[in-house]
Amino acid sequence: MTSSSTELKQSRRSFLKSTAMGSGGLMISIALPSCANLKNNGMQHAGETDQWNANAWLRIDSNNSIHFVLDRVEMGQGTYTGMTTLLAEELEVDPEKVNVSFAGVDSVYRNTIYGIQITGGSTSVTSSWHIIRAAGAATRIMLIKAAANTWGINANECNAENGAVINKSNGHPLFDQQITFGQLASIAATYSVPNDIPLKDKADFKVIGKYNKRLDALKKATGTADFGIDTELPGMKYAVFTRAARWDSQIKHFDADQIKKMPGVEQVFAINKPSTIGIAIVAKSYWQARKAQRALNVEWYKSELTDVDDASIFAQYKKDLAADSGNNVRSEGDTKSALENAAQTITAEYEMPFLAHATLEPQNCTAWAKPGSLEIWAPTQSPDMAQVAAAKATDYSLSNIKIHTTFIGGGFGRRINQDFVAEAAAISEMAQQPIKLIWSREEDTQRDWYRPSSYHKLSASINNSGEITGWNHQMAGSGVFDYFVGDAAPAQYPFMPKFMFGILESAGKLGEGIIAPADGSIYEGAEAIPYDFANINVDYKKSDSGILVGNWRSVGYSHNGFIVETFIEQLAQLPAIKAQKDSYQFRYDLLKNHPRAQAVLKMAAAKAHWGSPLPGCTQGISIHKSFGTWVAEVADVQIKNSATNDNQIKVKRVVCVVDCGQVVNPDIVIAQMEGGIIFALTAALYGKITIKDGTVQQTNFHDYQLLRMNQAPQIDVHIIDSDEKPTGVGEPGVPPLASAVANAITAKTGQYFYSLPLTLE
Amino acid sequence: MIKLTVNGIEHSLDVEVDTPLLWVVRDFLGLKGSKFGCGAGLCGACTMHLNGNPIRTCITPISAVADQTITTIEGVGNVDSLSSVQQAWIEHNVPQCGYCQSGQIMSATALLASNAQPNDHDIDSAMSGNICRCGTYPRIKAAIQSVAANKATNNVELFTNIMETK
Repeated sequence: MTSSSTELKQSRRSFLKSTAMGSGGLMISIALPSCANLKNNGMQHAGETDQWNANAWLRIDSNNSIHFVLDRVEMGQGTYTGMTTLLAEELEVDPEKVNVSFAGVDSVYRNTIYGIQITGGSTSVTSSWHIIRAAGAATRIMLIKAAANTWGINANECNAENGAVINKSNGHPLFDQQITFGQLASIAATYSVPNDIPLKDKADFKVIGKYNKRLDALKKATGTADFGIDTELPGMKYAVFTRAARWDSQIKHFDADQIKKMPGVEQVFAINKPSTIGIAIVAKSYWQARKAQRALNVEWYKSELTDVDDASIFAQYKKDLAADSGNNVRSEGDTKSALENAAQTITAEYEMPFLAHATLEPQNCTAWAKPGSLEIWAPTQSPDMAQVAAAKATDYSLSNIKIHTTFIGGGFGRRINQDFVAEAAAISEMAQQPIKLIWSREEDTQRDWYRPSSYHKLSASINNSGEITGWNHQMAGSGVFDYFVGDAAPAQYPFMPKFMFGILESAGKLGEGIIAPADGSIYEGAEAIPYDFANINVDYKKSDSGILVGNWRSVGYSHNGFIVETFIEQLAQLPAIKAQKDSYQFRYDLLKNHPRAQAVLKMAAAKAHWGSPLPGCTQGISIHKSFGTWVAEVADVQIKNSATNDNQIKVKRVVCVVDCGQVVNPDIVIAQMEGGIIFALTAALYGKITIKDGTVQQTNFHDYQLLRMNQAPQIDVHIIDSDEKPTGVGEPGVPPLASAVANAITAKTGQYFYSLPLTLE
Repeated sequence: MIKLTVNGIEHSLDVEVDTPLLWVVRDFLGLKGSKFGCGAGLCGACTMHLNGNPIRTCITPISAVADQTITTIEGVGNVDSLSSVQQAWIEHNVPQCGYCQSGQIMSATALLASNAQPNDHDIDSAMSGNICRCGTYPRIKAAIQSVAANKATNNVELFTNIMETK
């Protein structure tokens, strides 16, 4: 038994609970804390006779079918396969034999790291590594005990394998007897969960670290995976929702009469809730609703944002930071005097743009308001926040709102904000019929919760021996926490009445960093700079732009991976330093307190043949830690003569090395690195949302471009073999990429980059 | 009434003539495998075959395809009878979120139907109209190349599920 499993023994025991089912099945669920009151809000199994516990994870039926409730949504990052693999490992079944369903809302499904039911922050495997395996292991122990009692032998004379228990007491495999889990379920269900639930050692793993299939690939290759947008209900109508160009505008006037006469249109009405404002059109078909919307004229009241644009936003960041450096988030040594006494000082200012998520499945939600109950089908990253958003937008209470989750056509953090759920809920309540709300791509691009733009000021001091003596990084920008706490705070306290939601939101805002996690969305990755400098100072001044902001794949690391690693490159290029070592060695030596980082960097340099770029290319290197995971990337980049900037920068190859501790599914780790690199390259080459007159200028994929196959580089991913605890995978491939590419261009042209997307001089 | 043949089955539909084919197939015929991504022919999530050629159905009015033959992802193969491209997609673990993959498979199938041995450039040209936000391009390319390699031995079935017409 591993030491970590010993530590967790008591909590595991008190968590898990077994239940017998009428039909002779066994159910493993989690005992609810006494204050929780969310009954009947768990997953629903249509047409099943047995009551399925609201908070169940695992059920074995007498027909030997095994059902697992996935409480972390599948949006491409691989939870559907990874979490099932964790369970299957300890239960001793083939992961493919497990039927996976998506969880509804229940406090037991909360992410233990955040205290709400959220899939984000690259935390799924980290937060479930023990508890899901414990559920599988406890069940296996109970099934073995049931078999041993049936045969009248000791449990240690039995083995669980492939969904059955084998009697090994007869001395020869030929005489082995076996009973399936299904046959044993009714007996096992009479036992309580064992006190001691040892988990397997790494050496005994059969599927963890080895399983290389994707359990959702068959559905997704045949068009049979049901995404949110595929939800169908009897009598369902289609809705579109017209929002103001500036999110804070109120409706002044609209003319519904002409719209109501258009073909297929059934209802036209305004919704005027605190955070859900617009005109809904409900029609028989999506196309009829969308056509009618084109004829709709709405007059809006003047917005606070009318005069806001990128120039005014950055001017505000700079002014705010100059007036007050804000919170000190890291202070080591005396950076001020290091800078004052330096032989040389290097300074730089960075401006990072707003970015849209551009999930390929546009925001959508299906809602069915009935007397006394509201059901929601939503591709959401946070079902309990969806429940709160629906409650706020309607007269329903939390306990009367049931959330169903679906496969998700890309999340990247967008679906942590629940505006699309609030809208659908409010529209269905007004329409008194089931509706599916679908956003157009233009709406999706123009009403996102953007990666915040931010302003950064860096300076470094160098002494006469060419050593960096001080590092000062100050920054300003909006924090994303303020933009989801309104749904997140009530989700933590579902027993609170609705009139308390506003107070909970305010308490959440005030408690940021105290009772709620600190909002590192601007500074994370900057404050944790790993390089061994004697004097380090990092300050963050919160400066709200008024533009909606949210979590964008790798959040604060997405810009700080670029800023820190390009500024480090600028230092590495100083003659006094360059004379001694190259930019790989410069980083390596400064990472002496981080052996895992050194190993990652070293392997990346070796695998990329650092120093011997591909023909016509130069190389750039970068390393960044995010979500507990170290990733180093080496980019081989060619600069071509071409009319347009985006065709000039050709990334030929990216070599990526990742240390994410123990791996559950190696091929999914590789896929997440590949995907993170392409996501980040999109931002490096094209990514920029611009604001003019308080409105977003981009609308669709022609002016908010995404990388296409002909621009995708060759990507080689290598995983460090590790016994450490598993850390994040979904996001950490993103942060080092833009700097690796920028540094490769610097090596060729000498140009330094202080903004994105990369623009050649 | 507009008539068209989808996956070998003839349909007569009473819809507004400017309704895009995508929404007719999804919401009137109930075939949900084809996806809505941009509504402007820019992302390829809605790709179907019109008389064997890949088209962007989010901008194709139903009137433009009257009396013609449409194939959707459901007509390429199904879970019990996968086409060679679908098989390759699973073997290479291509999908992440999976939302774009029906469109990707339609474009790849059309490419391989017209060009048994596409080179790198052919694949890029045929596939660059299909966006994958998850970044599965390297695997899409590898999957197409593996089908092309099998095609040399004739061991390839690009369509396994089209109903026989009449």
